[in-house]
Amino acid sequence: MTDTSQDSGKSLTGLTKVKRWPPEVSILLVLLGIVLVFEVLGWIFVGQSFVANKQRLSIIVLQVAVTGIIAIGVTQVIITAGVDLSSGSMVGFIAMVVASFAQVATNERAVFLSQGWVDLNPIWAIMVGLALGAALGWLNGFIIAKTKIPPFIATLGMMVSARGLAKWYTLGQPVALLTDSFTWFGHSFPVLGFPVPRPVIVFLIVAVIFHILLTYTRYGKFTYAIGANPQAARVSGINIGNHLIKVYTVAGLLSGLAAVMTAARAESAQPGMGVGYELDAIASCVIGGTSLAGGVGRITGTFIGTIILGVVTSGFTFLQVGAYYQEIVKGIIIVAAVVIDQYRQNKRRKSA
Amino acid sequence: MKKLILAAAVLGLMSSTSFAGNIGVSMANSDTFLTVLRKGIEKAAADAKQPIQIEIADDDVAKQLSQVQNFIAAKVDAVIVNAVDTSATAPMTKAANDAGIPIVYVNRQPADVDALGPKGAFVASNEAESGTLETKEVCKLLGGKGDVLVMQGDLANQAAVMRTKDVHDVIATDACKGMKIIDEQTAGWDPVKAQDLMTNWIAAGKKPAAVIANNDNMAIGAIKAMKAAGWNMKDVVVGGVDATQEALAAMKAGDLDVTVFQDAAGQGKGAVDTAIKLVKGEKVDAKVYIPFQLVTPANMGDFMSKN
Repeated sequence: MTDTSQDSGKSLTGLTKVKRWPPEVSILLVLLGIVLVFEVLGWIFVGQSFVANKQRLSIIVLQVAVTGIIAIGVTQVIITAGVDLSSGSMVGFIAMVVASFAQVATNERAVFLSQGWVDLNPIWAIMVGLALGAALGWLNGFIIAKTKIPPFIATLGMMVSARGLAKWYTLGQPVALLTDSFTWFGHSFPVLGFPVPRPVIVFLIVAVIFHILLTYTRYGKFTYAIGANPQAARVSGINIGNHLIKVYTVAGLLSGLAAVMTAARAESAQPGMGVGYELDAIASCVIGGTSLAGGVGRITGTFIGTIILGVVTSGFTFLQVGAYYQEIVKGIIIVAAVVIDQYRQNKRRKSA
Repeated sequence: MKKLILAAAVLGLMSSTSFAGNIGVSMANSDTFLTVLRKGIEKAAADAKQPIQIEIADDDVAKQLSQVQNFIAAKVDAVIVNAVDTSATAPMTKAANDAGIPIVYVNRQPADVDALGPKGAFVASNEAESGTLETKEVCKLLGGKGDVLVMQGDLANQAAVMRTKDVHDVIATDACKGMKIIDEQTAGWDPVKAQDLMTNWIAAGKKPAAVIANNDNMAIGAIKAMKAAGWNMKDVVVGGVDATQEALAAMKAGDLDVTVFQDAAGQGKGAVDTAIKLVKGEKVDAKVYIPFQLVTPANMGDFMSKN
């Protein structure tokens, strides 16, 4: 764990260190190990390959693309030693609002039918989703920065309220029958016979942007500095409050983006959408080596952590693991992945 | 004769004034279906000029119990409960019975359904009908044989367990024993999870003749996955339950073949009527069943405006 905190330490103090394997390598090995187990069990019990299947490779990433987008936002929040519990509820509420701006005119129950806001260009729904996400995220950050209450509490409040808003928005009615131009964003397109879902493309783009943002920009360096040592960050001139507001706003923005993708994939929105997404996102971060103590974590790790969750879900269906056992095993795999990762890192530190 | 009319009028007045109290309603959550049910309750209460107070328990057993206890503490005339957890209803039944307040369970069958006492009742559709109607129709469309994938709802939920059991029961009958369940997994009532599950199945090489889902949301998710994989929906029979707006639209488009209409509004009305009868001291059946109806392309027009 101290391994990666030196990354941020290096940037602050100018210390250099011996070049080593990046910490993601060990979690990547865990991922490969899990894939190998499914591959072997697949040949034994199902008589086919787990990996050599275009469609499966596509669904493995697609089914975690939405929680992955959230996880990227949550990673930077956790690096500041915070947490965001509100993302799942925000997805529920924002998906409802987004969908209401993307309904077809032929739907006589469209939310904004009387205002004539139907058959709109999808850009409206997307803008509304992103703006609403950023606004709610800003509110999270503002409350945390100004009242100094723990992020756990502030975002817990948002989690409860946003779920309430999701139910209130249409008084529990789902928002359905969306325009083709909007649901286009949830569909796949073929590349060399390989089905590439657009949510996956969005996930990859977001991951690359945030990897660069956290690794090479002042925004990223401030984020690590605040999480690693807030006192030191303050004396070195960082306005912690302002920066936290930025970090939570960005996390909210990504929840908004996740909501757009969810509504586009489901081609509808329901108040119950996104329940538990925040925990899947946090699991992705933690599996990927982000420390809840702050100051440590990388987007590459979170990305691998997210893929591990997708592999496990697909692997269970592939092996026809009984529905009653899947969650039990999934919980064990989450903890085991982190334990193996820690063990490998400790061992490597000792030998170094 | 005049006296008699007068007496009847006074009696009528009395019963309506003595019945100005509240009925407390605790709903498990506010998903699509339960919202229609709740609206049915609201409408029936408004028609009967019966004040009601509705609370939503957000799928939280403890929250629901406190809501019911609060209703009883407020001395409501009757309580209507749409149970969060059908196996955790005994404390609510006891609290109501102890206070002598009528309790009506709606839609979800409480585990203590046979021990609700003279002031208790259960209003619902007979859950065994929905999965049975659905599977029988699928069986008919398949000509009694073919590979079947089953998509279950939330495994903690009685309806999911029951409807899945119905599927097995129908397939065990002589007319349908040519059908074979090749896999059975949960998608937790969720259309996106259903889409992912179906894609995983397709990736695993499954080629079902039919997909039987515990509800429409999941059936629609499955349809989306199959279409994305380039399957012709004419080749696969898809069944759901609920007859939601979206499901009827999918049926109109030729994608969904079977769904089952559960009269949510009718259940809501039934619950209010039963509660009012119990308050008045009238005798009611311990179980009041509102029938399910099979919906196919032939009769879907009748259901367009119902849910």
